[in-house]
Parts: sequence; structure tokens; C-alpha cells
Amino acid sequence: MAGIEIPAELQKRMDEIGPVDLVVGVSGPADVDALRAKAASLRGVGIDGEAAPPAKIVVAYAGVPGAEPIPVLEGGIQLVAYPPPQAMGSGAFWMDVASAQRSALELAASWRARACLVVYGDLAVLDAETVRPFSEPVLKANVDLVMPVYPAGKYDGLINKSLLAPLSRALYGRRVRWPLPADFCVGANTLVKLTENGAARTQNEPQLLWPSNAVAMYGGQINQAAVKVQHASPVDGLDLTTVLTELAGSLFEEAERCAAYWQRVRGSQVATRYGDPCPPVEHAEPVDPRPMVESFVIGWQNLEEVWRLVLPPATLLELKRLARLEVEQFRMPDALWARMIYDFALAYRMRRINRTHLLGALTPLYLGWVASYTQEVSGATAQEAERRVDQLAKVFEEQKPYFVSRWRWPERVG
Amino acid sequence: MWNHIEQALHDSMGRVTTKIATLLPGILAFIAALLIFLVLAWLFAAAVRRVLQAVKFDERVGRASGSIAELSPEHTPTFLVTRLVFWGFVVLGVLVGLSVFDASSAEPGVAAYVFAYVPRLVGAAILLFVGNVVARFLSRSVLITAVNLNLHYARLLGTGVKWLVMVLTAAMVLDHLRIGGEIVDLAFGILFGGIVLALALAVGLGSRDLVSRSLEREAGKSADVQPEEQRVRHF
Repeated sequence: MAGIEIPAELQKRMDEIGPVDLVVGVSGPADVDALRAKAASLRGVGIDGEAAPPAKIVVAYAGVPGAEPIPVLEGGIQLVAYPPPQAMGSGAFWMDVASAQRSALELAASWRARACLVVYGDLAVLDAETVRPFSEPVLKANVDLVMPVYPAGKYDGLINKSLLAPLSRALYGRRVRWPLPADFCVGANTLVKLTENGAARTQNEPQLLWPSNAVAMYGGQINQAAVKVQHASPVDGLDLTTVLTELAGSLFEEAERCAAYWQRVRGSQVATRYGDPCPPVEHAEPVDPRPMVESFVIGWQNLEEVWRLVLPPATLLELKRLARLEVEQFRMPDALWARMIYDFALAYRMRRINRTHLLGALTPLYLGWVASYTQEVSGATAQEAERRVDQLAKVFEEQKPYFVSRWRWPERVG
Repeated sequence: MWNHIEQALHDSMGRVTTKIATLLPGILAFIAALLIFLVLAWLFAAAVRRVLQAVKFDERVGRASGSIAELSPEHTPTFLVTRLVFWGFVVLGVLVGLSVFDASSAEPGVAAYVFAYVPRLVGAAILLFVGNVVARFLSRSVLITAVNLNLHYARLLGTGVKWLVMVLTAAMVLDHLRIGGEIVDLAFGILFGGIVLALALAVGLGSRDLVSRSLEREAGKSADVQPEEQRVRHF
């Protein structure tokens, strides 16, 4: 079942500690002193509310087991180190995070924990007030998965808003705000399923972890928890094309692997939100869309021969019309964007073009969408922008029959 | 004297006719062998295609290694193997035909010369194929990268890279076939150097304004003004 190799020292500690309620897995290396200070705050986390005995909690981080003796913290919280996964240090940020997340899940599965909370390496989520909305639904109400809802302004997380969230919602039928989370909590049943599938998959090709999609496929219950923290993304210096390639490529790979499931899904289910909603993040000044429109136009002028291998003639005509518009009039229809994403997903499966080239050719189209979106929401509030994003996700669902049809009969065009 | 001329013409005609009559059976045998092997090639290629489709060869190769699809994504592995089998039989037919021609010819040695040259032909064909694939792959990589860097001359760069690789490949193929000798080396050097010089001039002169604008922007950048890229967070 588990792919992690548990050293003898760690196994010994696991036997000494015995069964646990909650394993908090830090996805990656962490500052042990900071971890110790933050982990101590978890002693108030209970199973059945604050009046009940506190949960038995183990906090695991990537390190060398037995390298330094970690005392038992106040409240009986234990700290253990698990061996860093071999796939870490690949240079691809999200792959490294996914490898660490899988290791934490596999450790929790080996420990037969009732729940596993995976947290990002900056430990921003690691305090009792933030952890409770994650752990209580799983431990108390047997929810299979709790996903985060991070506070985001209208110009934040645009790859997630434009592609990851709407595509995941349309294919797997769950309205999850952040399908590629840095923090999430799973129950015992989900632990088993994620680690079984994960072990088989990593033998062939490394993949990102899409927990909500995996849980949706076996019909599990998914909730969402409002998280009032924003993780500092270390990928800000990375090339947009590299990140888009990594994220979109992984989601397309997942779609190819799970085609037998998502073709039967119709509509989408709401994921209940726990916790107080995050205060909206307002942006003061509008964004100038000119550089992004220019990128789109350069893409049209030079990549038409590549796009012709992927997109049908009707879509190319619409792109040609868009390329001739003035910046102020530049608006990319939601249906056009949704169909293009579906066409790229199909081309990814059919291998009509080298996959790296395919995903690189998506960047100018994505920037065209960003230019259109920023103009549409320039005078809107954060809540109005959220409704705009939800409207895009609905269009993805409406265009799904187009995708299913092309997936089954790829030689039909239009 | 007129009789001598007439006699000489008669003799020449006779020799040529005799020569043709001697070679004709060999030529006909060569054509017959080639046609037979063409039919065999078509039959075997069809049989191999059916077998590979039945065992889902494309899917197995795609799971095991993406390298074939990555280098030549327009053609499936089944197509490539089928084509290999077909042309293998055609080449075999040519060799058998040459051997038959040699056996029935009054001038043996043609087949031996051709057989000795066949490995070079095969090597040249492989070089040409690999060079073509690499040229297309690199050209498209440069094109897409240049577009994502907002370079207006992205297509020029992509085409330039493609022709550089093709010229290099052509020179290697001709050198391998021992055609042209030093003339090919010299022509390649001039052509390759010319393409590189043209690209350097195009990029250097074309981006002169871009570089100066970029430097001006860096020098006059205010710390209070946040670039557009930082106000939009993609991830």
C-alpha cells in the first residue's frame, strides 16, 4: 500500500506512540524550532469539541529520523521526522510539494491514523484556530476530505481561476475553489485510496496530487474550510510558461487517466464551507491589459501554424477576430476559452504535437484570457469578481458535452 | 569511301543492338524483382499494421516511452514501424534486382560496387531522417520560446534554426556519401556562416531599440511603481 520506506528508528517511535487520531504532515523540510513552537499550539484541538479529551496528535516533517531527539511537547503532541521523498529536489516546485504531500499521507496511512492534515512548509496554517475547521469535520463528522479556501483578490491565483478550478469542477463534478491545495485534511478511508493510487502512479510518471478529484471519483464527501492565511509563493521568480506547463499538463494527464469516470459526470455538487468566510481582498488600481494583449497578438502572428494542429477552424476564426480588436474592446468569450482548454486537453491525449510544445503554445492564449478578465473586473468588487469566476466555471460545465464528443470521436472537427 | 562509312555505321548499330540485347534481360529481371518485392512489401506492411493494431502497440509504446511520440508526434509508432517494413522490403528488392542484373550481365562487378555502397546509403538515410526530425523539433521549440518572450521575430528565429540544422544535416549526408568532396565542405561553411551572420544581424539590429528601451526603463524605474506583472498573480 504505502510507497514510503519507514526506517527502523521511525518504526520504533511509531510502535512506542501507538495509534493516533491526527497526523499533521508538513509537506517538506521545516525549521524544527519554529515547528516546535507552532505545534505546541495544537494542544487545544479536540475530537468532539473543546470539552472532550484532546486528540492524540503527531506532527511529522521531512528530515532524518533519529537525527536529533525531539521531546514530547506540552499536551502530548509528538514530533517525528520522516525520510524526504527521493523525488524531491527535482527542480519542479509543484512536483516537490506533491512528493512531500504523498510521503506525509503514506506515513499517516502506515500509522493507521484517523485523519491526516497536510500543511505547507511555511507552517502558516499550523495553529489551533486554523486547524480546527480542517480536522473537526473529518474526526467528528467522518467527512472524507476538507479542502481550503484561501483569501484571494480579483487579480490573484489566475491560473486557478481560469483553468484548474473550472476544469476540475466540470470534469469531476465538485465545486472546489482550490483543487490544487497546499493544505488539506483527509480521513482514514481517503488515506487508503490516495496512497494506493499514488503508489501505482509514481512508478510510471511523477504527478501532482489532486485530492478533490480523487475523492470525487469514489463518491466521497468533500467540504471546504476558510483559511485566513496566504502562503508566500516561492515560485514568483519562475517563468509563467514553466508553471502553466506543469499545472495544466498534470491536470490534462489526470483527465486522460480518469476518462472513464468524468465522461459520466453531469453537473456539479456544492462543497459545504466551514469557518467564517475570509474578508475580501480589494485591489486599489486596475491592471493595464496592453502587455497581455500584445502577447496574445504576437502569439497569433507566430503560432497560428501550431494552433492549427490543435484548434478547429471556427475557433481559429474567432482568435483572428480577437487579434484585430483594439485593447479596450478585447473580450474573450467564456465559451471560446472553455472550448480551447478542452481542445488542448484532447491534443494532449492525442499527441498531435509534442506535449511540451503544446503547453508552451497555451501561454499566449492564457494571457489573452487574463487581459480580457482584468478589463471585465477592473471596476468590480472582489465579490463581483468571484461571481464572474463562478460564471466561467458554469460555462465549462455547459461546454462539457463538446469535450466528451470530441474525446470519443476526435476525428470529427467543429 | 561512302561504303566504308556505311559499313562503320552498320557495325556500330550492330554493337549497340547487341549490347542492349545483352543487358535487356538483366534490366527486365531487375524490374520484375523490384515489382515482386513491392507487392511483398505492401502485403507484409499491411500484415504488420494489423498485428500491431491488434496488440495495441501504440498504447504500449506511449506508456513505456514517450520519446518516439515526442520526436515525431504526427506519426504513430505503428505507422513508423509499418513504413520501416515497407521500405525495408523495397530496398531488399533493389538489392535482389541488382544481383539478378549482375548475374545476367556480361559485365560483372556492378552489383559488388552497389552492395559496397549500400551501407553508406542506409547511413545517409538515417542521418537525413534524424536531422529532419531534430530540425523540426528545435525549430518549433525556438518559435514557442521566442513567442513567450514576446519577441516579434520569433518566426524568423524558428526558421533560421530549422535551416541551420537542415544545412548541417545535408552537409553530413553528402560527406557520408562521399559526394562533392571539398566543394561540399566549403559550400557548407559559407552557407552556414552566412545564415548565422544573417541571424545575428537581424537579432542585433532588430533588438537595438528594444535593448535601449529596456535600459532606459531600468534606469528610470521608480520604486513606488509596481510593474504590471507583479500586480497580476498567476499562481
